[in-house]
Amino acid sequence: MNASATVRLAPGVRLHQEEGGVAFLLIPEGVVELSPTAVAIVELLDGARTLDDVTQLLAERYDASPDELRSDVDQLCAEFRSKGYLR
Amino acid sequence: MTNAPRPLSLLCEITYRCNLQCPYCYNPLNLAGYRNELDGDTWRRVVNEAADIGVLQVHVSGGEPTLRPNEAIGVVEAASARGLYTNLITQGTFLDDALLDRFITAGLEHVQISIQAPEAKLADRIAGTNVHEKKLVAIERVMKRGIAFTLNCVIHRANHDMLPQVIELAERLGVRRLELANTQFYGWAFENRAWLMPTRAQVRAGERIVAEARERLAGRMQITYVLPDYYEEFPKPCMHGWGNAFMTVAPNGDVLPCPAAASITSLHFDNVRERPLREIWESSDAFVAYRGTAWMPEPCRSCERREIDFGGCRCQAFALLGDAGATDPACAKSPHHGVIAAAVEERPPETFVPRRMQTTTPS
Repeated sequence: MNASATVRLAPGVRLHQEEGGVAFLLIPEGVVELSPTAVAIVELLDGARTLDDVTQLLAERYDASPDELRSDVDQLCAEFRSKGYLR
Repeated sequence: MTNAPRPLSLLCEITYRCNLQCPYCYNPLNLAGYRNELDGDTWRRVVNEAADIGVLQVHVSGGEPTLRPNEAIGVVEAASARGLYTNLITQGTFLDDALLDRFITAGLEHVQISIQAPEAKLADRIAGTNVHEKKLVAIERVMKRGIAFTLNCVIHRANHDMLPQVIELAERLGVRRLELANTQFYGWAFENRAWLMPTRAQVRAGERIVAEARERLAGRMQITYVLPDYYEEFPKPCMHGWGNAFMTVAPNGDVLPCPAAASITSLHFDNVRERPLREIWESSDAFVAYRGTAWMPEPCRSCERREIDFGGCRCQAFALLGDAGATDPACAKSPHHGVIAAAVEERPPETFVPRRMQTTTPS
């Protein structure tokens, strides 16, 4: 996906987080368990931040290199968009 | 003894009554056996008990759930109060503005409306009554509210060639999510299997049509299209494992591991009127029977896919082989796979048996 693209959870899709780091995406026909990495990314997708912004924020938060994170962000967003979780 | 997994989804079948007579309905044939329906207070209790054991999502269905609007809305209210996701599965013929308002106020998050075909003539023949135009009005009404919406069309031999027109209709309506659901052969659909079974040519064409539409509509419309398992090499991962994540409460309060499970007459199903939902989920005979992989016979037991498709569907194994503990014959590795091949070749009858409350007239 384009680094300047902006996405957010699609209508009818909602993030559900529980104590202990357990998290799920609630979608119209089901429940999808999310990894901690996926949660960190999804939380930042507000429809205003670009994928580049999200990568930068995560790099600062986890003290990691943006280059490594970029492919995580890109892959997850591409996959979730093709499944209709993101718009 | 509780190494039961956490349930995530609850299907509330508010009633099996319906004003339509679709021959592909998965509901049981003995609809009249479910007239002793749970009251609204019991439904609210069931939802709260489900939330207590980890359920995150509640589907409200039937039959036609809006035939009991107060009970259906009560379920949505109780679920929303606990933060659960709510989905109404309806054919839409009673969904006027006032009723829709009540559902939305109660916290409803998603609506699914099904159509029978992309045009009234066939749709109304399938439904057994003139409802197609009414459904289109309901769909537009729901979409105007901005509530998340999925258009569903159950696919079978009689409407399979109309897939392009179904997709076109969804486009015209501005639908973002379209579910093209191949008929699952349970209940009434099993009774009508030969009439409903698509041909191999139809299935092949369907794959092409859907692939083309997905590409053309990427980013605008999400299309779900699951191939009929009679034409697949491997069985479907039914319910993602028996008693693993899903449960259904039937109109009379019976708790089922799968919406079609009541057809398995070799099992006894416990009822929410008599036992707490937690107990039924964790340790009732029916839920324990096929949970995990220990129950599996060969070829499932040693199969590398045993935790991918979980041996397929218990209801299908029972319906086709009389043994709910057998490998789903839809699997190409099943020694009884021949019954699937034979069903696909069966000659379709002239017409279908409409879904009705009383079918068994004593002869």
